Amino acid sequence: MPLDGAQASNTAVATRRILEVRDLTVRMGPQEILRGVSLDVAEGAIVAVLGANGVGKTTLMRALSGIYRTSGGATVFDGEDMTDSPSHEVVRRGLAQAPEGRQIFGTMTVRENLLLGGRTLRHDRAARMERMLELFPRLRERLTQKAGSLSGGEQQMLCIARALMSKPRLLLLDEPSLGLAPMVVKQIFDLLVQIRSEGTSILLVEQNARAALRVADHAYVMEAGRVTLSGSAADLAADPRVRAAYLGG
Amino acid sequence: MVFDVFFLQQVINGLSIGCVYALMAIGFTLIFGVLNVVNFAHGEVYTIGAFVGLMVITALAPPLLAVVPLVLAVGAVSGVGLERIAFRPFRRFTDEASQKSRAMREATLLSSLAVSIVTREIMMHIFGGDMQGIPSGYLLQQPVAIGPIMVASGSLVIFATSAVMLGALQFLLYRTQTGLGIRAVSNNQLGARYVGINTDRTIVTTFAVGSMLGATAGILVGLYDGAISPHMGFAPGVKAFVAMVMGGLSSIPGAVACALLLGVSESIATEFLSSGWKDLITYSLLVITLVFFPQGLFGHGRERA
Ligand SMILES: Nc1ncnc2c1ncn2[C@@H]1O[C@H](COP(=O)(O)OP(=O)(O)O)[C@@H](O)[C@H]1O
Ligand SMILES: [Mg+2]
Repeated sequence: MPLDGAQASNTAVATRRILEVRDLTVRMGPQEILRGVSLDVAEGAIVAVLGANGVGKTTLMRALSGIYRTSGGATVFDGEDMTDSPSHEVVRRGLAQAPEGRQIFGTMTVRENLLLGGRTLRHDRAARMERMLELFPRLRERLTQKAGSLSGGEQQMLCIARALMSKPRLLLLDEPSLGLAPMVVKQIFDLLVQIRSEGTSILLVEQNARAALRVADHAYVMEAGRVTLSGSAADLAADPRVRAAYLGG
Repeated sequence: MVFDVFFLQQVINGLSIGCVYALMAIGFTLIFGVLNVVNFAHGEVYTIGAFVGLMVITALAPPLLAVVPLVLAVGAVSGVGLERIAFRPFRRFTDEASQKSRAMREATLLSSLAVSIVTREIMMHIFGGDMQGIPSGYLLQQPVAIGPIMVASGSLVIFATSAVMLGALQFLLYRTQTGLGIRAVSNNQLGARYVGINTDRTIVTTFAVGSMLGATAGILVGLYDGAISPHMGFAPGVKAFVAMVMGGLSSIPGAVACALLLGVSESIATEFLSSGWKDLITYSLLVITLVFFPQGLFGHGRERA
């Protein structure tokens, strides 16, 4: 049940929303970590969520992937309710995540990591893996190596490729640039544009606001469990508050 | 020369006992892998395997080969039941505080210990604490001559069964989606959830598989020793646990190698020392391993948070 709103027209590609998040709250014990977050991802868009450390970005991403239960609000994915779907259901329905900390299978081979990412595919798993190896040629050289032996940048690529193996309609990325050299960050962000052009919408969480705003169509700023600012990426990049807080003036 | 043949026979006996420890140790290791918690009721699954096997034998007198699939099924069912009763209730909590809490880990540990004690008491109640004899037609004690060496038929059956089960396990873990899922959950449970693995279902499957191996070990030993009792699971449970720790907690080949090592050491020790030394051997090997190889002989330094 898509909700009406003006924001969807912010992207040129489509006005249909792949994800709608309405007033989502998440509690951990006595603490309310998300206090009513609302956001939209238009189909075919790259949307960024910016915010300082500890504001609840990862909590939001985990709630969307069914890792954390929510205590209020709703998520609608591709027009259907997905609030508190279990994580295995979420992936099957077309939402995959490259999570914070990567969470790859370090003692298993790169190939096995990719196969696990594509376990919800009924057929064409081999073709999908081939496509991933074209997108991330570094992984091809490492196919039979243990994932734990890869460099940080390669692990991040594996993490993204693993998520993409399931041919998701929406890819969530939680701080893909964390701990990587600027060259590698640029490489990965350039790939996001490519991934979007193959039909996967992207919701991206970043502290590296500069890199994120460069590729995003739309962005949200979070503070203390709430969205405090939103707009087109160009508008936010020009906004003095964003410039001061996240772009170094 | 006489000494050599005799020695070889002891080694073979030891290897067959080691295979039994190995079947048990694999179950321990698999379950520890997916949950990071020791399953104290594993020895009772072994006992249940032996008792159900005996009940079927006395009631139906089936051919020996028909007993095995039945015991496998019983093992699977006990594993699933055990997971439901002793482990699943503690997995409802997902906030960081509970997951990292020592109290939660200890509660799970104690719940499987409680299930183990209750199961043993129930079996004592039904069957009594005494040894139950196995009908002689099913005993696996006929001597078989292999060249100059005499081997009990039971040893050969244990070797064959263990080989088949190990092969099947390798196939499961490395060639099937289910096995890939078990390995993924063992390696990184959170990562497994992100790729869409139903971790609860995987954990249940792991309990079923591990308990199938344990129950089979129980009936094999029953047929080999000729007698079973509700307490029979304790000693091999401890040995298998030692083998798992020596093997590095998460390594199946490591656990198997250490189980064989324990079996052979014990068997040789009982022949040259008085039998009271047998258990001392196991524990000495454990202590030596932990002092000199804290990660186990085959560990890769898995975090034991
Ligand atoms: N599992 C958890 N249990 C308790 N508190 C948590 C948990 N996860 C996150 N928090 C708390 O929630 C807040 C937001 O964390 P997080 O979502 O990781 O922020 P971000 O990703 O924006 O840096 C932090 O104060 C953190 O300590
Ligand atoms: Mg974070």
